[in-house]
Amino acid sequence: MAEQAQENSSLRAVVADVANGVALALDGGGDSYALSALLAQDDAAALAAIRVLGADVLAPYALGLAAAHGGPDGQVVRRALTAYPPGAAASDVSLWSYRGLVEASRAFLPDAEGDWPAEPLPGDAWLRTDPWPKLAHRASQLAALALPGVAPALAAGLAARTEDLSRGFVRAVRRRDWLQAAGVGRWLTRAPDVPDSLGLDVGLVYVRRMSDGDPRVALHTAAARRFAGRGPR
Amino acid sequence: MASELTAPVETAALAAEVEGLLDSAEPEGIYRDTRECGGGLLLAALLLISPPTPRAPKTDAR
Repeated sequence: MAEQAQENSSLRAVVADVANGVALALDGGGDSYALSALLAQDDAAALAAIRVLGADVLAPYALGLAAAHGGPDGQVVRRALTAYPPGAAASDVSLWSYRGLVEASRAFLPDAEGDWPAEPLPGDAWLRTDPWPKLAHRASQLAALALPGVAPALAAGLAARTEDLSRGFVRAVRRRDWLQAAGVGRWLTRAPDVPDSLGLDVGLVYVRRMSDGDPRVALHTAAARRFAGRGPR
Repeated sequence: MASELTAPVETAALAAEVEGLLDSAEPEGIYRDTRECGGGLLLAALLLISPPTPRAPKTDAR
């Protein structure tokens, strides 16, 4: 049990490290972005971290902040997709995340050698049927897919429930669930008809400040700012 | 040799952890919907100010 807990904390630490590197790249810090340069160790945990963060590991590519379109980054993403495919009992969130990473790889790593894995077809009925608190939770889990050209059907489904996402944003802030608030807020920066009374920009600043430096929160808020011009400066 | 034997176990454990992190449950927290709270307060106020239930007048049996 102790060994399992240690592995878990190790993976969380690697996820935080990679998220921090992506957030810094989106914030404009450092040289040109290379995912492979963020991975201190070429091991299973590094590949697992890529799978956890999903399409966000390629977010700087969407802004043209990467040095090359392919090469070592393509190889490491392909290895992550091969090592951690969604299982037979995988959740819709896992399937969507995997699909998002494949879509982002096709879009942002066009020069990578070889074929990418087939994209799974995750269920989308929950986009219409989930009650708003559950919808907001799932949307935040899939916030990495809020990238240009990735998962347009998911973005459209969530855009149709802007009011419910707005309520979910407020709920997450009131529950002090900063990661969920950042993820939902990131989707809302792309949504039409977000009410001004929501205070989304100020809310994202508040979420980032209150998260006590959580790298995954920083990643979502940095993406909201760079892709939609909203949130913390 | 030992690493070859433990690698699949480690990868399987990590795969489970990946699924857990991707589809993690919400952290504990309390959220009260303002409209639901308002409805509850209104109901409680109506109950408090409602007149007492009419009772039949007491009649002397003797």
